[in-house]
Amino acid sequence: MSGVWYLAWRYMGWHRWKASILIAAVTLVLYLPLGLQLVVEQTARDMNARADLSPLVLGARGSPLELVLNALYFSAEQPPTFGYGVVAELRDSTLVDPIPLYIRYHSQDVPIVGTTLDYFGFRGLQLAQGRQLTTLGEAVLGARAATALGVQVGDFVVSSPESVFDIAGVYPLKMPVVGILAMAYSPDDEAIFVDLKTAWIIEGIGHGHQELTRAEAASAVLKTEADRIVANASLVQYNEITADNIDSFHFHGDNSDLPLTAILPAPRSDKARVLVQGRYQAHESLQLLQPRAVIDQLLDTVFAVQRYVLVAMGLVTLATAAVVLLVFLLSWRARRPEQDTLHRLGGSKTAILSLMLAEVVIVLIVSATLAAVLVALTHWFGGPLLQAVVL
Amino acid sequence: MIELCDLEFRYDQSSFALQIEHLRLEEKEHVALIGPSGCGKTTLLNILAGVVLPDAGSVHVASASVAKLSDARRREFRIRKLGLIFQNFELLDYLNVRDNILLPLRVGRGLVVTAALRQRAETLAERLDIADKLSRHPAQLSQGERQRVAVSRALLLQPSVILADEPTGNLDPANKFVVLDLLLDYARESGATLLTVTHDRELLDRFDRIVDFNALNRWRSA
Repeated sequence: MSGVWYLAWRYMGWHRWKASILIAAVTLVLYLPLGLQLVVEQTARDMNARADLSPLVLGARGSPLELVLNALYFSAEQPPTFGYGVVAELRDSTLVDPIPLYIRYHSQDVPIVGTTLDYFGFRGLQLAQGRQLTTLGEAVLGARAATALGVQVGDFVVSSPESVFDIAGVYPLKMPVVGILAMAYSPDDEAIFVDLKTAWIIEGIGHGHQELTRAEAASAVLKTEADRIVANASLVQYNEITADNIDSFHFHGDNSDLPLTAILPAPRSDKARVLVQGRYQAHESLQLLQPRAVIDQLLDTVFAVQRYVLVAMGLVTLATAAVVLLVFLLSWRARRPEQDTLHRLGGSKTAILSLMLAEVVIVLIVSATLAAVLVALTHWFGGPLLQAVVL
Repeated sequence: MIELCDLEFRYDQSSFALQIEHLRLEEKEHVALIGPSGCGKTTLLNILAGVVLPDAGSVHVASASVAKLSDARRREFRIRKLGLIFQNFELLDYLNVRDNILLPLRVGRGLVVTAALRQRAETLAERLDIADKLSRHPAQLSQGERQRVAVSRALLLQPSVILADEPTGNLDPANKFVVLDLLLDYARESGATLLTVTHDRELLDRFDRIVDFNALNRWRSA
């Protein structure tokens, strides 16, 4: 290593805390705008890709954004529900193949998606392990969901109770994992899929319990009327669907009233898509949306905010550059005796200036390298890294 | 050999001046320069080393007319021909002892740290009894050890002239004789000329000659 570079390196090694703080500040200033840009671009690309693969979404009237985010990205926001009877209406129209969705519950923080087997074909999801849903109460997991929950085929997942204080409310349902999907690099990787009826059972709309006509359930009978038996609170309700109790599960009321949060109508042709859009254009209680249009609107807002953030970061960059410059100028003045020594020993003014500049260059090179590594990591691992850095 | 003729020097915005009609140190001569603080002894050493230039007069050191050399040649002359020892040691706190001894090679143009020079630095350190402290930093050394590092640095490139500015000023009685003897031993062995600024009258009988700066500087004496 040549003279001034060696001395600069030694100086920074000796004042390692000062150097580390400078490098950290410059690294962040370089990385944050690039990282933010990268994450926003990646997110926009992913969201658009998902939206492009979902030509239409039907749901109850309300926030279009809430509906699209829930139906496509399984977000926690819950759009208003509507009756299952709409599925039959759509099917009867022969314009689209409707895929019903009921997305309301979670297992820990993983969303539980109640749907039909058509969904897997619609999204092109493949099984990596196990088999598809065949009976009530089973679950198939996305690849990342299985990793996050630490479960494999043969293990169980349990739906999270909505409120532990509501003793009459939704009880957790224990569901065997029968399959794990191959990685699809989409929100489907982070979801638990169950049959639509299983989702309704989680809600408590469908349930299974002891047979009240049997002798062992006598203590649970409140009163017997001509055509029905009324149970009291001691009636045992099943929180796991097994081969022994599956026959006891049933739904009360009309199937067409059972709730859905969305329907993904897959149009059979372009003409069918236009026709079905026209049919629901002025519907009183339902809205039929093109997800790409809703996502574009959302991204326009995100990009507008991003521009403000980048301007703010530009100002922070200027402020940081000014502080770094001040640090070097103060350091330059404080090191006057050292410069005099070097001069008296035979160092030229150029060599002494080069020594100081070498320190600046080392800070910039190390910072730029670290920022490049962070950008690469962001590119590979996406948004969570930036969130970890920023938040 | 050192020779000054009709030397004049004045700092900007200061009443202080140097006016020296003639001073000559023969080759291999060991001279002590004495005088009160602030009388200009350090300034004279800086002129001899080419750190500052005189306003008038000639300065010859080791066969070179210092004032007439170009800036680059003067720096090269300073590194290759002179051994400079400063009163406050002037070691860099972020370098260890080995790197402080090799420092002139890091700042001099066209100089590189060779294995031979590393070996010489270690030999000097051994001779000055600081060989076991080569990896330490100045803050971890005693005053005497620091001055020995400064002496090693001055002798690294085997100078023909040694200019020492109160090399024993910050040392305890035991160490000041050790350091001075090291300088005198080197000068005798290598045939170098030694000019030492000192206030310490106990050391004067070890020099060949004593020059009183008050008598030398006509401006001061006037």
